[in-house]
Amino acid sequence: MAIADAGSSSQRAFRPRRLRLDLTTPTLLGLPLAWLGVFFLVPIAIVAAYSFDVYSLDPGPHGFTLTAWHDFLHSSVYLALFWKSVKLSLTVSAIIVVLAYPLAYYLALSGTKRKYILLLLLIAPFLTSYLLRVLAWKVILGNQGVVNTFLFWTGLRSPDHPLSQLLYSRFAVMLVLGYIWLPFVALPIFVSLESLDRRLLEAASDLGASRLQAFRRVTLPLSLPGVVAAFLFVFIPTLGEFVTPSLVGGTSGYLYGNQIVDLFGTGFPDWETGSVLAIFLLGVVAVLTVVFARFLQPRQVVAD
Amino acid sequence: MDKQEDMERRLSREQLLKVAAAAGGASLLGGRVDAAHAALDWLNADSGRLQVLDWAGYGNDGGQAMFAQYVKAHPKNKPQFTYMGNESDALAKIHAGLKPDLFRPYVGWVKYFAKSGLVQPWDPKQISNFKHLNPFMVKAGQYKGKQYGIPDDWGFDAILYRSDKVHPKARSWGLLFDERYKGRIAWFDDLNMLTIAGLYLGFDKPWRQTDAQLKKSQKLLKSKKHLVRLIWSSETNLWEAFGSGEVWIAYAWPNDWVQMKKKLKVVYMRPREKPVAWVGMFMLLKGTKRPHLAHAYVNAWSAARSGKWLEDNYGYGHANTLARPSSSDLLKALRLTDPRAVTEPNAHLDRDIPRRALYARMWEEVKAS
Amino acid sequence: MDVALSKNGARLLRLFFIVVVAFLYAPIVILLIFSFNKSAVPTFPLSGFTLHWYRAFLANSEIRGALETSAIIAALSSAGAVVLGVLASIALTRHRFRIKPAVSALLLSPLVIPYVVFGISLLLLFHTLGVPRSLLTVVIGHIVISLPYTILVLVPRLDQIDVSLEEAAFDLGASRLRTFRSITLPLILPAVVSAFLIAFTTSFDEYAVASFVVGTRVTFPIYLYSALRFPSQLPQVIAVAVVVLVLSLAVVVAAEVGRRFVERRFVALESSG
Repeated sequence: MAIADAGSSSQRAFRPRRLRLDLTTPTLLGLPLAWLGVFFLVPIAIVAAYSFDVYSLDPGPHGFTLTAWHDFLHSSVYLALFWKSVKLSLTVSAIIVVLAYPLAYYLALSGTKRKYILLLLLIAPFLTSYLLRVLAWKVILGNQGVVNTFLFWTGLRSPDHPLSQLLYSRFAVMLVLGYIWLPFVALPIFVSLESLDRRLLEAASDLGASRLQAFRRVTLPLSLPGVVAAFLFVFIPTLGEFVTPSLVGGTSGYLYGNQIVDLFGTGFPDWETGSVLAIFLLGVVAVLTVVFARFLQPRQVVAD
Repeated sequence: MDKQEDMERRLSREQLLKVAAAAGGASLLGGRVDAAHAALDWLNADSGRLQVLDWAGYGNDGGQAMFAQYVKAHPKNKPQFTYMGNESDALAKIHAGLKPDLFRPYVGWVKYFAKSGLVQPWDPKQISNFKHLNPFMVKAGQYKGKQYGIPDDWGFDAILYRSDKVHPKARSWGLLFDERYKGRIAWFDDLNMLTIAGLYLGFDKPWRQTDAQLKKSQKLLKSKKHLVRLIWSSETNLWEAFGSGEVWIAYAWPNDWVQMKKKLKVVYMRPREKPVAWVGMFMLLKGTKRPHLAHAYVNAWSAARSGKWLEDNYGYGHANTLARPSSSDLLKALRLTDPRAVTEPNAHLDRDIPRRALYARMWEEVKAS
Repeated sequence: MDVALSKNGARLLRLFFIVVVAFLYAPIVILLIFSFNKSAVPTFPLSGFTLHWYRAFLANSEIRGALETSAIIAALSSAGAVVLGVLASIALTRHRFRIKPAVSALLLSPLVIPYVVFGISLLLLFHTLGVPRSLLTVVIGHIVISLPYTILVLVPRLDQIDVSLEEAAFDLGASRLRTFRSITLPLILPAVVSAFLIAFTTSFDEYAVASFVVGTRVTFPIYLYSALRFPSQLPQVIAVAVVVLVLSLAVVVAAEVGRRFVERRFVALESSG
């Protein structure tokens, strides 16, 4: 049904022959907006309704109540878990932005002719399967993993004392998340550095600034929007992350996203609390997005 | 059998092409509606096969021998499996719209599901092996006189540890909370960890703890969680961590012991507070479209031959009283010949938790803390 | 003298770049090596060369079925997302309307929603409507999350095209549809193809949303996830992982090179015409 609709309305959109341009705006936008309305906004509204118990899984009586929200905001457990996830995401994002900056700098400003090929080389892993890259790390870390067995084999470590904290730890979660997102963060930074007017640097140099001074006073401030964008593009998705922690995190790598999943899954279903957690996360993300919206110019990401 | 699979494959190829044509044609050019319909039908299709929601290890991932009889009798309708991590997970999946024909909660959940209206009673007359099933376990599968659960596998929750690394101070559940083995302990991801904590703390009714008792149990778990490397939710996940040495002590089932003792020095310890015993109960979803097949499937599982296979290979008991394992080790260790192995004074049979939602919430808080 | 980098600085950065790229590809290379390793567990030392795991995965109908299912879902959802994306992008670039900032914010908002939240939202929607979970529900979700990516690819390209070309065609009496078909579409075709590919890879790889709304038939990521949790068939999974990784790398590179090639030709055409 959806497909047939999509097809016929794309025809419909262009059929009017001599209508004025702006009259077709609603026709063009109708379908995409309707799609997002029904399958994006309404679902979120339903989650919100669940969180206030306006609407519920159980057939019993229910009505508007703030109980779940009250419990959530007064439960030190969930907020502490959220804070733990925030800290972890912040750390990961900060580290990889710092790592990615020199990469982007090299590509954008070293004058290398093959910069787009190198950029592609850098980004390509990001466009391949996420889960497979997690799989790779699961094979590598671990007491009997590639790293440890390599150490045993070369005699650098005895099999009785493997490096044991590699897998099922917070470290594993951070390593894998960093690995997954690193190529992607380089992109917005690269774009902002590339659009930098080199004449500014030349002027700085003419005025007697050293390279370091020029970097600190000109390049860094001008590339900041790209840095902030890069940071947010990692921070936001990792904040709700549950796949990587559930595969390599063990007990100490358990994050807020896992809790949401468990409330809807392996835990006895508690969709009301789960909805509260989800809406809270969404709210935080929305606030971040609005506050930093001017840095999140998406075109910076795709333009090349 | 192979031919049929081949046919299925060819069919799905054709469907694939059709769908691809539909995707390309219908959406880009606003084309043929019937192609789009074909695509939709394919997407929406229920495969028509018997849908089983079961635990990992009980499907095509190793448990084939248990339902081989069924497959032989119904080659055109092989079971299709979805896996459940535990009963809560199964409940969530069913709530979320999954429609299995049958699934397998354990004995403590019979009352919950029977009351929930999600399941319907079985017709034991359609299960020829039913008469050989342990009467005590059969009774445990009943609710208000109706047979909601067909008992099959049974076993224990107890403690597995590596005897070359771990030296318990006592035969007690306390080993799961032993500070000496920080980072080497695995718990199971289920609210019954609170029951275990209650047993350890010596409460007389761990399934019906008072608020104060629950608080104590939760406090114990929260304070010991930093010792725990992994809260496992699939056995293979545990085997991987245990087998490779990340974990030395685990809340475990007999099969975990059977698997791990193949390559490690392990002990499966019956704690002095008694292990918790469980009995797997097949349950039939209300309104299933394939009740006949579901009964046939359960009958295959209930056969003495299946039971013997389960005992020999997984180290679980089986409700069929005619089933006997070949290894006398196992026989002895699990008291497989004793029909009352699962009850007092040998073990605590798992039972209904009236305040399950509260237990669940408190367990989630433990994990989140 | 270069104002941005000294010679030594450039050398240092190049070294750093090489190290990071090595770090990024090392896990993939390790998978590649172990996919040919005889032993069923991926540990050192290597135990000999075999193609067994590749044969095993080719014979494994479960893996193949999951790959097929994912390919179909990805094809349908990316087609859907591209259609919606083209419509929206034309409106955003060619038309003026007052609430444009709000509209484009809405269109791009699926980019920033945590997938776990979106997954449960869809789950609750379908539960509320009584829609059973199936592959269709996955396609619906994937269209939502791919849509912004298609817009991000299409809008810059539409911006580049000289509107006067379209206006000229229109003035010469071509219908809107005709103008679109013979002027706009060919000009944005490379971008449409890349949008399709991006949407395709997004969907093909998507686990989080799919895990909440998929029915009994499994997609490839869902198969992978359970294979990671129940690692009994690890070597086969590693083999299939290598195939998928190498294929997707090849597609990514080919698409990018192709797009550049075509776009360069169009730019040349535009500037000469």
